[in-house]
Amino acid sequence: MTQVQTPKVVKKKLFSPIWLLPIIALALGAWLGVKSIRESGVEVRIHFPNATGMDIGKTLVKYQGLTVGKVADISIDDQLQGVNVDVLMDYRSSPFINKGTKFWLVTPKASITGIEGLDTLFSGNYISILPGEGESRSFFEAEITAPVITPGNEGLIVNITSDKLGSLDVGSPLFYRQIPVGQVVGYRLDNSQKIIVTAFIQQQYASLVKVDSQFWNVSGISINASLSGIEVRSESLASILAGGISFSSSDHSDAAQNQHEFSLYDSEEQAFGGIELMLTATGAESVSEHTAIMFRGIKIGHVTNKILTDDGVSLLAKIDSQYSELLAGSSSFWLEGADISLDGIKHPERLLTGSVINFTPGTGEPLQQYPLLTDQPQPLNTQKLALTLHSDTNPGISAGAELRFKQIKIGTVLSSQLNAALTEVEYDIEVDADFSSLVTKGSYFIAESALSIEADLEGVAVKTRDLSTFSLGALSLVRSNNNQQIVNGASLNVFANSSDAKNYFKNKQRINKQLTSKDGADVVKGSPIYYKKMQIGQVEQIEWQRTENNFIIDISIQKSFASLLTDKTVFWRNSALSINASLNGIEVEVAPLQAAIKGGITLGLLDSAMIDSGKHLYDSKFLALSQSTTIALTFPATVKLEKKAPIRYLGHKVGEVHSVVLSKDLSELNVEAYLYGDYAASFNQQDASFSIVDVKVSLAGIEAPETILTGPYISVFPGVSAQTSSEFTGLIEKPFHNINNALTFVISNDNLGSINKGTAIFFRGIKVGQVDEYRLIADGTGVEMTVHVDNQYRHLINNTSVFWDLSGVKVDVGLFSGAQIETGSLETILAGGIGLATKDITSSDNMINNDYRFSLSSTVDPLWLEWAPKQAAQ
Amino acid sequence: MKSNPNDSTLGKEIGLTCCPTCNKVTCAESACCSRCDTKLIIRDYGSLQKSWALLITAAILLIPANLYPITTLTNQGQVTQDTIFSGIAHLVKTDMIPIAIILFTASILVPLLKIIGLTIYLTAISFKLPISKKNLMMGFHIIEWIGRWSMLDLFVISLTVAVVNMGQLLDAKPAPAATAFALVILLTQLAAKVIDTRLLWDRLETKNDSSTNT
Repeated sequence: MTQVQTPKVVKKKLFSPIWLLPIIALALGAWLGVKSIRESGVEVRIHFPNATGMDIGKTLVKYQGLTVGKVADISIDDQLQGVNVDVLMDYRSSPFINKGTKFWLVTPKASITGIEGLDTLFSGNYISILPGEGESRSFFEAEITAPVITPGNEGLIVNITSDKLGSLDVGSPLFYRQIPVGQVVGYRLDNSQKIIVTAFIQQQYASLVKVDSQFWNVSGISINASLSGIEVRSESLASILAGGISFSSSDHSDAAQNQHEFSLYDSEEQAFGGIELMLTATGAESVSEHTAIMFRGIKIGHVTNKILTDDGVSLLAKIDSQYSELLAGSSSFWLEGADISLDGIKHPERLLTGSVINFTPGTGEPLQQYPLLTDQPQPLNTQKLALTLHSDTNPGISAGAELRFKQIKIGTVLSSQLNAALTEVEYDIEVDADFSSLVTKGSYFIAESALSIEADLEGVAVKTRDLSTFSLGALSLVRSNNNQQIVNGASLNVFANSSDAKNYFKNKQRINKQLTSKDGADVVKGSPIYYKKMQIGQVEQIEWQRTENNFIIDISIQKSFASLLTDKTVFWRNSALSINASLNGIEVEVAPLQAAIKGGITLGLLDSAMIDSGKHLYDSKFLALSQSTTIALTFPATVKLEKKAPIRYLGHKVGEVHSVVLSKDLSELNVEAYLYGDYAASFNQQDASFSIVDVKVSLAGIEAPETILTGPYISVFPGVSAQTSSEFTGLIEKPFHNINNALTFVISNDNLGSINKGTAIFFRGIKVGQVDEYRLIADGTGVEMTVHVDNQYRHLINNTSVFWDLSGVKVDVGLFSGAQIETGSLETILAGGIGLATKDITSSDNMINNDYRFSLSSTVDPLWLEWAPKQAAQ
Repeated sequence: MKSNPNDSTLGKEIGLTCCPTCNKVTCAESACCSRCDTKLIIRDYGSLQKSWALLITAAILLIPANLYPITTLTNQGQVTQDTIFSGIAHLVKTDMIPIAIILFTASILVPLLKIIGLTIYLTAISFKLPISKKNLMMGFHIIEWIGRWSMLDLFVISLTVAVVNMGQLLDAKPAPAATAFALVILLTQLAAKVIDTRLLWDRLETKNDSSTNT
């Protein structure tokens, strides 16, 4: 069954709600359209001289960094004089586009004073707009440069008038205490006479500009060069290059208003001005603008202008403000130029710089006008101190000569004459009252030399004085420590120079002493005498004594060192450079330079009282301190010996060679030597032996190798004789000295073979002795060697001992026995050697005495080697 | 009602309809699908209206989409705004013609043709224009298929915006036209989606197909 249902009648909607969608879209589109038409902006045309850096659609118009428009089109103007830039401005900016509105192109600009428009490097150039007043318009002429003030950059604008622009330029900084506070924003000519520089000062510094502020140019470098020196001044580097203006500010004045007028000074000095005054004169020949006004040699002002008046010339002058208090009612001004006279030239620099106006201060209220005098006003006369001076000779002082103290004139010499007794020169002098207190008791005067050249080892000093010293001479005061004032008419000393004066005082404090020397000792008059390297005196005189053939040296020693002159005092000459070199090291002693060149004498003290008179001048410190005695040696001419060669006893230095002279007949060497005081007595026996030790290189080794470096030396061995002598004959070979009670005997052989001096004697391979000497037997039948065996081994030897030659290598070749090679130690192969064997035990019966003779066997009997007597050590 | 079902017989004529959700063939009288309870509608005549409304909206929005800039590019402080067409012109200027063709097709040609195509389609249904239903249907399918490719432009913009972001140096931002353009694409897609294509058969089948088919 079909269920009948009531049909649901749905009224068909004519329009679906979906139709709202197009309506909305339409409304939205319409609104957007209307909006875009409304906001399409205002089109303005700006005329630029060129369109550098501008692009259609890209270059923006900005106001305070906010984009307010965009370049829509660029076209060349009708006259081809520039470009018309059509700019589409934001519709919101239309109220600001008026007659006074300014447009200008902002480009990056790097200059000395800074970099502007840095942002344009990225965003490109843009047009900046400064809204202005007036009726609305749509065509503008672009500004060439940015207008001075842009809102938000508020500050103070001042106008500074100047005669010339100098190196100022737009952008030149304004400094206040060297802080940049603003800059020059423009300049223009005002009625062809003045330049008006417009400067902008930032708001935070605007209050520094007062109505009485002074502006001055700090452009570039200010160089003030005169004969007295060069002064270079500059502000910041930027101002050197770009110019700049500095200004002052006072605390109390009112702040300057906008557009206030100031004038620009050339320099700070001018800006600060000073006191203006007028000097009247009949003529102004040597005065010019900038002529300096001097006070005690310091410039305190200058002439600024010269004006011709009815009765002469008026000079406008300016005294620098810091010296303004010097000006008083009784101040006087006078013209002073270079003064050329026989005295010399005073102020020769003024020949170049022109005259100056001199000034003296005074008392009373300053005036507006002063007369310009032609001469220095005479100072008031005062009481002078009259004195008499004495001198041995006249060191070139004549009447009129100046008296000086520290090169300041303190008085004059009135007259010079011989005294009544004709023994001295007398001077009458006058000391100015101001300086009379300088002259005290004990003071003296030294004649000044116009030109003094002092050359000594300390250096060369050249002193010159002014010309008046040349012509008249001058006296310099040397004050004494005495403070007692001198009375009028007192007399003082005059010395020709300061060293004379010193000597005069020194000579009162000396001790003299005489020394004898064999030679001139390299000293001259004035050579210093040292004690512990301090100068305590000097050589006064050197005399040769014919009778003694020696020299007498007079020395003087300062009194304060008198205690050094005792019976222990010795003197020796200073050597400039003493090098004590040995294999143990080098000791170098350098005398003071003065002593090295002038020569010198040193004083020393011995530990004990000296042996001789204490008058002898020793050659060296060592000799002096050791109180050496002299000996004379004679050597064959073949000997090589040098000065300073040591004399040794068993290696100890007991003396040294002083001089080596080859005799006239060239046959021998005369050697003068010292034996040191302590040892002299041990080696003065008549038979003391002196022998040369030189290096000897042999297969047995090197003897005295140190002489390779040091050179040969003399070996000494004391004698036994009771007779003493100081003259010896030297030996070439060092004789054997039986120091240790060695056993000596003689070995004879028909041939020396390789036996040599020093060839060792071996007992069972141990060296027990050596060959000391060898000689040919007088009849020529063989050789004999003197041999010694050390004391400790003497018991090994008796008359049963046999000796054989160990030297070399023995090769024994037989047909059946084979080859037999016999050698000793390596040393014996090289240097030879003597073998020793003893058959019997040593006893008192078979003991040998000195000079016992053995004969040397050339071969060894094998039997001998089996001998082994048990020897009892002694 | 005719009772000779042949290949051109409509379901509606024999009292049958199809569930729009599960495609179950149901008796036309029943209000709901016996399987999925979806409300059964034999023909949605309102869809034609909806489609028209959406299409007109899209057509309106096509104007701002093309007039307004679609991207704002900041290159070293210089701001440039590009409309779709200026972008393509720029590509042509820089000798990237293949890309320009793709962009032109996707961004200008396709939306425009789609709107025109849909307009023809809807007009044909609404005013019973004598156009072959097969041709219409083929065109409709093409429109439906190609429509999605119009999003290419927006896809590129969204990618660029995400990737290019270097402040003052280089920055890309979508501009107002992007929204409008997106809406055009969306609305045309919807317009094609909402229309009940069966209406086409009702209106046109009887008239012309017989002639075209025969």
